Amino acid sequence: MIAPKLINPTWLISQTTLENWLDSLAKTRSLIAPRDVDGVLLYRPVENSRQIKWGFTRPALSAKEFFFPSTERLLKIEKTGQQVTLLETLPENQTILFGVRPCDMRGLQTLDALFIEHAPTDPYYSRRRENAIIIGLACKEMGSTCFCTSVGGAPDNSDGMDVALYETGDSYLVQAMTEKGLTLIPQTEWSLTDEIPAPAKQDAPLYALPQQDSWPAHFNADYWEHLSERCLSCRVCAYVCPTCRCFVIRDESLTVPGQFERIRCWDSCTSLNYRRVAGGHRQRANQNERLRNRFYCKFYYYPEQYGLGKSSACTGCGRCVDSCPVNIDITEALIELARLT
Amino acid sequence: MSDNPMKPYLGRLVEVKDLATEIKLFRIELLNGGSEAFCNCKPGQFAFVSAFGLGEAPFGIANSSEHGPYLDFAINRLGTVTTALHELDKGDIVGVRGPLGNCFPMDEFKGKNLVVLGGGIGGAPLRPVIQHVLDHRADYGKLTILWAARNPSLLVFTNEYQDWRKSPNTSLHLTVDTPDPTWDHSVGLITDLLKKVNPSPENSVSITCGPPIMIHYVARLLSEMGFAPQNNYVTLEARMHCGLGKCGRCNLGEKLVCVDGPVFNMEEVGHLLETYL
Repeated sequence: MIAPKLINPTWLISQTTLENWLDSLAKTRSLIAPRDVDGVLLYRPVENSRQIKWGFTRPALSAKEFFFPSTERLLKIEKTGQQVTLLETLPENQTILFGVRPCDMRGLQTLDALFIEHAPTDPYYSRRRENAIIIGLACKEMGSTCFCTSVGGAPDNSDGMDVALYETGDSYLVQAMTEKGLTLIPQTEWSLTDEIPAPAKQDAPLYALPQQDSWPAHFNADYWEHLSERCLSCRVCAYVCPTCRCFVIRDESLTVPGQFERIRCWDSCTSLNYRRVAGGHRQRANQNERLRNRFYCKFYYYPEQYGLGKSSACTGCGRCVDSCPVNIDITEALIELARLT
Repeated sequence: MSDNPMKPYLGRLVEVKDLATEIKLFRIELLNGGSEAFCNCKPGQFAFVSAFGLGEAPFGIANSSEHGPYLDFAINRLGTVTTALHELDKGDIVGVRGPLGNCFPMDEFKGKNLVVLGGGIGGAPLRPVIQHVLDHRADYGKLTILWAARNPSLLVFTNEYQDWRKSPNTSLHLTVDTPDPTWDHSVGLITDLLKKVNPSPENSVSITCGPPIMIHYVARLLSEMGFAPQNNYVTLEARMHCGLGKCGRCNLGEKLVCVDGPVFNMEEVGHLLETYL
């Protein structure tokens, strides 16, 4: 699905040229970009470049929701007497996502491994990915809770983007990374440049990331009990995470009698009844077992299950650190694990 | 599986009958291409059954494909979906999504003695194993079935016991926790029955399905009796929503019950079973 990498032709454009370009793109596809929504920065649809918020670190929620929405319809169900009709509702919307940060791009690549590469392909997610073009924006420096460099990322990593933008003084370097990205570039209007993006200011990794194969040995460490004592099972960490993808599927009634929809909604492995089975038996009944599962999923289970190799499913975006009401900090857990190893 | 793995096949209920207290057998005739998808399904596989408008839930397929072209499911009325299914009648339409998961390695079992242990409705996914062995009786050694339930009214497939007993080189042993006045079989847990029957581990494999706590103790006892972990097979139940290795819910450590299982041997999952209880 992802087009082969180009030799990354690069153009230098001004802020005004960038805004004019985005305005013209917004006329051809839905443009989704960082936008101030009542004081909260979110990736949201914009009508034109004036609605875009510039000079941000990263939005409060990741770009995940545009490919794997918090609630989406999978099927419409119509019942008439003993007849049942199922209508598939595959997404059609053509989109451009602008301003996607490297951590969020890595989040999408992590979800690609699950929803696209791990058979069978999920038709809803993969359709949205096919219908989207991603214009990424490299970070010049890392935010206060960012730790991408500790989990193998970098603030200026352009992997997976269709077009990568780098801020350079008052201008932008624009690199086409894929054929799909190249189609967006008004090549006759812009001038190519030999300028190479200056490296971003990178914070040193917080620790040496625990090796993937060291995780099983710490499964019964007392640390998990200690860490989970204050966890509220509120699930906010999963909802803000660019790679948490647990979901439920359920049927809901529509207002017309006999009509229903089968929907898929986000869930989280830290929630109390996550593993409750018919009859009331609850596996992972203890908070520490559930919180531990989330950490193990990020750094051991998910990479093993979906072939991420040595890469973790944590992108280091730091949103869970920002959002946790009781200050559970994933980086503290990693430092502790590295210390135990 | 259909092009869209989230879209079920439609199926018509051709028979609904009581199997035990609150447990019904649903026999489904698949429509719109579903019968081709399921015609080669293997003992141990499962499927999601939809009560449209209320949702879907996973169930072990309770018949061998050679006993088709129908699919049988034994369903206990416990939650929203199973209650809705219990309210359906012959002729009603349900959804079936699958077949999903791995299967019992019936070819590898050839020439071996089989000890089959079913607890309550856990007997349902073992029925296709029993049917397969009886249909191909000469391919397998001794078949020892240990069947347990909390009380006699919860035993499943009772009308088939005669056929099982009549098959050569096959024995059936029953036990319940709480007998009624007419009960003339063993009383006690399935582990007590297993000690009494005392099957030889020589050239034998065991296959267990039941509540997690039963699986745990049965596996421990079989190991004490000399059954090697790789010869003790279990089929596990876990809450799941997709059955495709996506929704994340059914993991047992780094394994996913839906796609790496539901059939495992104890060498694969013995060390993880504690997190399953």
